[in-house]
Amino acid sequence: MTHTDPITLEIFKNLFISVAEEMGVTLGRTAYSPNIKERRDFSCACFLGDGRMVAQAAHIPVHLGAMPASVRSALSEFDDWTAGDLVVLNDPYLGGTHLPDITMVSPVMIGGGDTPSFIVASRAHHADIGGMSPGSMSLATEVYQEGLIIPPVRLAHKGRTNDDVLKLILRNVRTPVERKGDLMAQIAAHRVGERRLEAILQRYGLEATLQHAESLLGYAERMTGAAISRIPDGEYTFSDEMDDNGLPGSAGDRADPGGTRPRLQVTVTVRGDAMVVDFSGTSPAVDGPINAVRAVTESATWYAVRCLAGAMTRAGVESQGASERAPVNSGTFAPVEVRVPKGCILDADPPHAVAGGNVETSQRVVDTVLGALSAAVPDLIPAASQGTMNNVTVGGHDEERGEPFTYYETVAGGAGASPHGDGLSGVQVHMTNTLNTPVEALEYAYPIRVRRYALRKGSGGLGLHRGGDGLVRDLEFLSPATVTILSERRRIAPYGLQGGHPGGTGLNLLVGAESEEALPGKVEIRVEPGDILSMRTPGGGGWGEPAGSPLPAEHTPSKP
Amino acid sequence: MILGVDVGGTFTDFVLLNDEGQVTVQKLLTTAGDPSRAVLKGISDLGVGPETPVVHGATVATNALLERRGARTALITTDGFGDLLEIGRQTRAELYALHPTRPQPLVPASRRFELPERVDRLGAVLVALEPAAVDEVIGRVVEQQVESVAVCLLFSFLNPAHERLVRERFEAIAGQPPVQVSLSSEILPEYREYERASTTVINAYVAPLMNRYLANMERDLGDRRLRIMQSNGGIISSETARTLAARTALSGPAGGVVGAFELASQAGFDHVITFDMGGTSTDVSLCPGRVQETTEGSVAGLPLRLPMIDIHTVGAGGGSIARIDAGGALRVGPESAGALPGPICYGRGEAQELTVTDANLILGRLDPEHFLGGRMHLDSARTTGRMQELARLLSLPLEVAAWGVIRVANSNMERAVRTISVERGHDPRQFTLVAFGGAGPLHACELAATLHIPRVLVPMHPGVLSALGMVLADVVKDYSQTVMLPAHKVDAPQLERLFSPLLDRARSDLRVEGLTEEVTLMPALDMRYHGQSYELSVELRGSGFLQDFHDAHLRRFSYASETEPVEIVNLRLKAVGRTAKPRFLEQNARGVDPKAAHLGYKQAYFSDPDDLRAARPMPCALYGRERLASGNIVVGPAVVFQLDATMVIPPGWAATADRWGNLVCERSGV
Repeated sequence: MTHTDPITLEIFKNLFISVAEEMGVTLGRTAYSPNIKERRDFSCACFLGDGRMVAQAAHIPVHLGAMPASVRSALSEFDDWTAGDLVVLNDPYLGGTHLPDITMVSPVMIGGGDTPSFIVASRAHHADIGGMSPGSMSLATEVYQEGLIIPPVRLAHKGRTNDDVLKLILRNVRTPVERKGDLMAQIAAHRVGERRLEAILQRYGLEATLQHAESLLGYAERMTGAAISRIPDGEYTFSDEMDDNGLPGSAGDRADPGGTRPRLQVTVTVRGDAMVVDFSGTSPAVDGPINAVRAVTESATWYAVRCLAGAMTRAGVESQGASERAPVNSGTFAPVEVRVPKGCILDADPPHAVAGGNVETSQRVVDTVLGALSAAVPDLIPAASQGTMNNVTVGGHDEERGEPFTYYETVAGGAGASPHGDGLSGVQVHMTNTLNTPVEALEYAYPIRVRRYALRKGSGGLGLHRGGDGLVRDLEFLSPATVTILSERRRIAPYGLQGGHPGGTGLNLLVGAESEEALPGKVEIRVEPGDILSMRTPGGGGWGEPAGSPLPAEHTPSKP
Repeated sequence: MILGVDVGGTFTDFVLLNDEGQVTVQKLLTTAGDPSRAVLKGISDLGVGPETPVVHGATVATNALLERRGARTALITTDGFGDLLEIGRQTRAELYALHPTRPQPLVPASRRFELPERVDRLGAVLVALEPAAVDEVIGRVVEQQVESVAVCLLFSFLNPAHERLVRERFEAIAGQPPVQVSLSSEILPEYREYERASTTVINAYVAPLMNRYLANMERDLGDRRLRIMQSNGGIISSETARTLAARTALSGPAGGVVGAFELASQAGFDHVITFDMGGTSTDVSLCPGRVQETTEGSVAGLPLRLPMIDIHTVGAGGGSIARIDAGGALRVGPESAGALPGPICYGRGEAQELTVTDANLILGRLDPEHFLGGRMHLDSARTTGRMQELARLLSLPLEVAAWGVIRVANSNMERAVRTISVERGHDPRQFTLVAFGGAGPLHACELAATLHIPRVLVPMHPGVLSALGMVLADVVKDYSQTVMLPAHKVDAPQLERLFSPLLDRARSDLRVEGLTEEVTLMPALDMRYHGQSYELSVELRGSGFLQDFHDAHLRRFSYASETEPVEIVNLRLKAVGRTAKPRFLEQNARGVDPKAAHLGYKQAYFSDPDDLRAARPMPCALYGRERLASGNIVVGPAVVFQLDATMVIPPGWAATADRWGNLVCERSGV
């Protein structure tokens, strides 16, 4: 056999994706924490033995580039693999993203030897991995403060769990029972993935399966190449800024109005069916926790390219939904070269803090890359979306229930308007798509009362097409608590395009009994019963010149 | 005697079961503008007397939702939460989209209203609702000239007083015609405000239409008892369906699953995977000894959290389009040629796209002479021409290309079946695949082979299974109530007290349904470990419910933690009234030889056992389904034709006609 015919190609595409999806179902079904079970903050994938990704189940975009990095890291650490091995890691500087994301890597061994034929990997966001704040999303200045760092180590060897490693991990986290349940769920997912790949290898043979996997990489590469070739050749540049250096008291603060704002600079060069995305000119890494490791920057870049490729093919022969079924593998991004200057905020050196790079800076990378592409394909690219995840962590002692609690949420905002129409309002954008916690579920579980959860009318940027509105979410605290906020786009508004106005910036307010105080974008505060945190998330940018007609009343940007 | 009527997009199907267990089947074209015309014509064609009860699967609710043609509806919420319907769970439908979209809410901002009131998580009133405030909002609602109103206030499932006050004030002051009011505390008294609001709004949106449709139908049917199929596979009175319209939203597919499961059980197989392959999509459902339900369903992209049969749908059917994509892979679906223009072989000039049906024709599995009883011409020449173009692009012989289309379509359906079986911990080897719908029997055996499913059952009338399911369905009513209690503090007498309002309602409702038959009440508890966000429903069989939960959790999620605190989240009650059903007539065995049904031979193409990718021509026997008698055995390769379906029996398989007319197909001698 020398080539894979188009029929076999399609069938193997289904086979490999179903391996990744079955792993995902097992993980989602057996995990303990709501973050994995309900918010589905995890990804699964299968790889060739040399570390190239064959298929990933569509779960979380930020894991796109980070999964291959983890597998490469595990492969370079160990060269004596046996069946039943399982490597665990979360080190952002060795293939991870930020510490709560724990990755596992395990081999499928066929026909002897100590190199894997195939590899399966999973990654899940764990609710706590220790460190200075509950939830491990702290306003830290070094990675050591952010939680337990796990380099690639064997959590299992020859099918036996290494209890020493497990004990070490569990002793360093705040909720060990839940952590253990989630880690066991990840292991269960791996065993399912390994068995499914073994069954495929048995049915089709190693040689044919390897060949078809290889063909799938070529297939995905052609899909992306075909899309890029429809972008006009040229060099496109764009830049955008972060609000501050990631710490309270920097640019967001009245005390320091001139503080430095890190700049993201990109040049996208399109030549034929290949693309170079170069971040030269980007600011150096900062003191606060918004540094990104290279894998996060790659993920965000690839996310933008994947969206564009989907839109380009869709505009041609493909119909709605078709892009979702194109496989995501190492071939998908082969035509895209990502260049990041070492030591900048998008490829930070250890020991910089990175918790927010994953959730905040990644969003700005997408805005910047799409901004550059808007010059190349103006009829496809939307204005900036809210560009933040509005991370809120609340921890304290629940007086009524008599127990400690930690609660983490991200709040949606406005999506950017596009050539096709208005942006969605109150929706998770780009690098995340996790569900909210229902108001009634939240009030059942925590000493918090939701006073308002509504669209923030008028926050979307004006334009021929309007940007989506952000949200207003008012949380009243019923017990004393510590609140950590990690949010962006409080100073630098989401941009509009083609004459569209920018979206409204976000605002964090603390409403006390007698006073109202504007909080910085990143802050840790103590709250008392009766205090209300009013989070007002950014709107999306508008697209196209606004029409001259007066605004409908409901869009008057007066309330709230 | 009982009559089942299922209104579908193209056909309205009738199944009449008489007291001797004889089945009469009728198919009429659906009268799109007024579906009741076809219904009444079928009733008169079949000569059904006024004493015969009619069970009806109405698509009124489904179509209103899919086409967004429901009633002009308003939504009333707690102050600060008027946008909850639009925000939803704050997610987008597609992960990778430059212009993400989600379904528009059924109620636009201009018809969403807020009331100054608040109830806390224990049901205590924090802000009391003043009647004057309600009247003021009602005034503004009425100005909007709505037909229907949904009311969803926070924690109303614990304390419905405020929602009830809204209805009282509506009844007191609203003008004519009256506005229909749906309260979330009655439609779905469960926590999670968005899903409860969505379900309540769906009900409000479709109820006025259902009300009108059924009022007319009742008038036209005169004294006949009319019952309506629900999405949960049970039936309710027409009167109930007029106010609880949302419960009927997915009745058609539900009827199919009930029919398939009942027929297979009767034939001795109660572990069943139903496989309903139509023109544009395929529905699969897993029944491990019973029909399974879910409360996680949705319709037209909107959450509908009422119990419904757990059905998984994929966009692969006979009309699915085959083409080569930008990366050079052969794709089949989810785009469909639909009924118009349809497959190339149906001969409509504007049809340009090759479909799965066309591939079946090329392979000799469909036959121009016997398709739809020979009533429909199939254009072989044009189909061959188009398939040759595809084959050239693939550098493959004609039939191998056609076989490729079938293999890709089957691999899509294999994924669907894996999703509901393997991925949920069920071994397909222990199941029987029940194939129906126009295309199910064509693909069933080859699909079963790839999944190691040992047996395929094709019912006598695979084209009208949904109407048959309606004839066989029981009266089913579901009740639920969120309580959120620590399980270790709840004892049996307290549970009894908690359940008693649900039991009272069930008994009184079943009296209204006019049920004289045997009634079964099945209480269950939704439980979870404290801190989890998923509930597991456990049948309540006495005071050992806590242990039952640990056991169920262990089985389902492979661990249990008996030291962890457990919460009782919801009470559930299912009330089932068994309807009287005649037994199906059984045929005596007539010997194994099917020669009386033999129609001839032709060349057809099947998988080459030496090379799965190749297709090999073989002489294939043809049979007419009507002439096959009980006990006959048809050995593959063979094709069995009947009016509304064609069954392929590949080499290595043999089908036996059983006493009820089912074809039971198994792997033979290999």
